[in-house]
Amino acid sequence: MEGHQRNLYLYDRFNARVVGVSRDDVTTLKYWGKDLGVTFPLLSNITGFLGVTFDTLVEGKPIFRRRTVIIDKTGIIRYSRDGSPDFKDILLFLKKLNHEGGKP
Amino acid sequence: MMKKGLTILFFLWVGVWLSGCAAMETPKQVPYKVMPGGIVVWEDEIEFKIPPPGWKLLRVESGENDINFGFMRSDPGGFPSVTTFAYDEEPFGCSAASFEGREREFFKRFLFNAILQFQILERKKVQVVGGEGLQVDVEGKDPVKGEKVRARVVFGKRGDRIIGFYITQWRTMDGVYDLSAFEVFDRFWGSFKFLKKSFYQTLVENP
Repeated sequence: MEGHQRNLYLYDRFNARVVGVSRDDVTTLKYWGKDLGVTFPLLSNITGFLGVTFDTLVEGKPIFRRRTVIIDKTGIIRYSRDGSPDFKDILLFLKKLNHEGGKP
Repeated sequence: MMKKGLTILFFLWVGVWLSGCAAMETPKQVPYKVMPGGIVVWEDEIEFKIPPPGWKLLRVESGENDINFGFMRSDPGGFPSVTTFAYDEEPFGCSAASFEGREREFFKRFLFNAILQFQILERKKVQVVGGEGLQVDVEGKDPVKGEKVRARVVFGKRGDRIIGFYITQWRTMDGVYDLSAFEVFDRFWGSFKFLKKSFYQTLVENP
């Protein structure tokens, strides 16, 4: 999350916005976001239905698997990677997408 | 007899050929070049003075908030007596506006696996890679495990982004710090030069 926060000025340059999604409750996310200094929205999805959409549910555990997804302005998922975000890869992809005109 | 001799000769030739293959193995790629005068050029991007013998190279390939590279050495006195210093292109925290802001964020997570009570020993402005920077010396103690650590963190800037250098020296609670290692660390970051623009600078300048 800190990495995304560090890159906000670059995401903005490539017309991208970042949103975090977690299964934690709103109060926890508010505290956590404030503690980390995160200024972008963190969405609480306790029921986990977004995990079905993005295939990030972990069976038997109330958490999402870590995944980075880039959605273009038409709603199409253009990038999906599991694990820790590769920020350089993400930025290069956003730059390319912005050039194509398929603004995220 | 002739046939037996040829068979032996054949196996000898195969043996020589195979050993030749082993000798011709591609040399292991290293990310640095050592230049005359003890200067290291790291991935054609960074230049710094090589630490004295006894310091082993430490490198983490990739990952969020991982160090880029550094050096470590085992110190006398047994566990946890070890000194490590490193260059970090993405130190903990996200503020880029001020070193003081980044310092606050950084120390929330620095050595977070150890439950330490940190005390700031000194904070001063320094010159880092040709610009203004901030040096913070701290000592952390873990009275439960009977361990302590002395650390120095140096924040500087590369383009718009804050970079960091840090050294940690772990000791048992009654152990004595070896401050000469901090001089080696100071020479390390003091000799740092960037030979080309960072990924982030290039990304912004070539839209």
